[in-house]
Amino acid sequence: MTAEHEPKRGTGTNIEGEAPEPEPEGVSDAVTVTEESELERTIGLVGGLTIGIGTMIGAGIFVFPGLAAGNAGPAGALSFAIGGVIALLVALPASELATAMPRSGGGYFFVSRSMGTGPGAVVGLGLWLGLVFASAFYLVGLGHYAAAVFTELGVVLAIRPVIPLGLLFGLALTGLSIAGTENTAVIQNVVVVGLLVVLTVFLSYGTLDSLGVFGRQTVPEAFFPRGYLPVLTTAALVFTSYLGFAQVATVAGDIKRPSRNLPLAMVGSVIVVTIFYVATIFVATSALGAAQLGTLGETAMVEVAREFLGLPGAVAILFAGLLATFSSANASILSASRTVYALSRDALLPRRASRINLSYGTPHVALLAAGGPILVLVASGRVEVLAEVASFLHLIMYSLIAVAVIVLRRRDPTWYEPSYRMPGVPVLPAAGALASVLLIAFMQRASIAIGFVVIAVGYAWYRYYADDVDLRGDF
Amino acid sequence: MTDRPTVLLPVRILEGEPIPEGIPDLLMRAHVVLLGYHVVPEQTATGQARMQFEARARTRLETFEGMLADAGATVETRLVFTHEAQATIDRTIYEHDCLAVLVPNATNPPETVLVALRGRVGLDRTATLVGGLFGDADIDITLYHALEADESEADARAMFEAIVDRFVEAGIRRDAIDVRLAEGGDPRAAVTETAEAFDVVVVGESDPSVVTYLFGMRAPQVAESFLGPVLVVQRERPADARSTE
Repeated sequence: MTAEHEPKRGTGTNIEGEAPEPEPEGVSDAVTVTEESELERTIGLVGGLTIGIGTMIGAGIFVFPGLAAGNAGPAGALSFAIGGVIALLVALPASELATAMPRSGGGYFFVSRSMGTGPGAVVGLGLWLGLVFASAFYLVGLGHYAAAVFTELGVVLAIRPVIPLGLLFGLALTGLSIAGTENTAVIQNVVVVGLLVVLTVFLSYGTLDSLGVFGRQTVPEAFFPRGYLPVLTTAALVFTSYLGFAQVATVAGDIKRPSRNLPLAMVGSVIVVTIFYVATIFVATSALGAAQLGTLGETAMVEVAREFLGLPGAVAILFAGLLATFSSANASILSASRTVYALSRDALLPRRASRINLSYGTPHVALLAAGGPILVLVASGRVEVLAEVASFLHLIMYSLIAVAVIVLRRRDPTWYEPSYRMPGVPVLPAAGALASVLLIAFMQRASIAIGFVVIAVGYAWYRYYADDVDLRGDF
Repeated sequence: MTDRPTVLLPVRILEGEPIPEGIPDLLMRAHVVLLGYHVVPEQTATGQARMQFEARARTRLETFEGMLADAGATVETRLVFTHEAQATIDRTIYEHDCLAVLVPNATNPPETVLVALRGRVGLDRTATLVGGLFGDADIDITLYHALEADESEADARAMFEAIVDRFVEAGIRRDAIDVRLAEGGDPRAAVTETAEAFDVVVVGESDPSVVTYLFGMRAPQVAESFLGPVLVVQRERPADARSTE
């Protein structure tokens, strides 16, 4: 299972004279082999799945149901299903590319190697900032849950505590990721498995109850209370709930048996969360009705749980929401830092951006490059815009990933030997690329504008800083 | 590397852990797989650590390689950046089919060796290792066995005769071998206690907890218990043990 590449390096230098690092000599199931040393792969299939699922469920289950039901009514479940299908259409090409290039950096790496430095730089810088926006979104969600804890305890605060709490958690997370060296992967696995168990119990009970098994009368209402268009705009809004599978690809360099585990982790996590999301909206709208859900905002799920299971249910979901949004934010900050590393390895950002702190062994510059802007964005408090910009930047990358598969299959360079080949090329990846771009059209104007500005700045940075660097994959 | 037993010597390459005194002499008849590894936290990509530290790690590794080679060992080096030291050590043991792993503590020129045995488990590999490392040297070997609950002393003595023969076959002089039996109790504690009087200890891997125990988990206790170096004999790895996940 060793993919042998010629260890060439990308050519050219950036304006500081730094050249891209050479490509590794080969990749096996357990290790990436470079000329002088080896890089151990330590994340298995379960770890990969929990990275994907753990990043995603924080948003889809604990933040969006109220907003989605308010916008689209019970058809919000359909919005999530649409998002799931698009995510799957992108997860398949991403899986194929990941088995051919199992290197850290994920989507950025695939696009830069298949389409060249310009698109690569746009996607890479966009991915970094996309993750920054996503983390800020999760942190605002976390702030809502922490604020709900105070409400539950009957503590009345002089100011609305959501943003200050979000900022506090943002600071704590950045600090922890710089100074903490505990083994958080194990904790992450336990948290995600625990969340899935709690949710499975809750959703099974809720589904049965909603179907009238326990004698409940569901709230009668139209499936499309506001017509069809809100289903699509809601799909664009909640797509943030599907960004996590790409995080698996950002740590592709750490995944054991990449040819098997990367596709399974990416596709598997998308399928798992889609089922959970659709069930959640169904249960939530059945319990309280979409109109009432819409008024409850980010922490609507707490009230849904209270409706079914009383105070213990509300407390359990409150606690689960804190954990889930925290783990989503944490995973996104770490992925953002990995992306900065991947960019600086390729000389698109200064090499010093991925310097490692000598006392903690962590990349403090890259982590601060994620944590700093995150705090600024959290302070804005605009949940929907943060979510949409994050999705926008990811969707651009997704469409290029899908295009990359078509390009590589057609060009068929010698180094391109994916061990997993997706079915239905070119139709399915073309559909994925098209759907990704179309989804953007249903976003708010402000989000689209911010997204385009980020992309333009990314491209300008590339032309200014690293115009000479050529990364196209002839390795 | 015909008759030389392959011994893995793992070293945390960047953390000021030089090769302790006496270790090159101990391994002079071995084929040493010198594994320099650097553990990075999960927040850090292994490749990130490589960009920054590879050159320094290589230099140190080459210094260590030179020390071992000067003493007479044949040496292969590996340099690995990892998130999990144990995963890296296990993989290297497997890939090089290492007979034993050395937990390097300082030692005098070794004169007395304690070999802790648990029945016949892994006996051949233990004998090959001890014979290869100490066969033609002037070294006293003590075979040690703690009686298990349902085992009579007579049984154990009978077993030992066969075992001693096996060590003699492996190249140890019969008069250099001493046999010691201990009554029940906690075998690990017994080994620890007895070990104090020896320069080098050889134990089997059959009890996995010993391995974890030795590998830095509770370094202070280990340092108190085993002042000298410890060779942990590895089970034979099945040919297709890879890719278990």
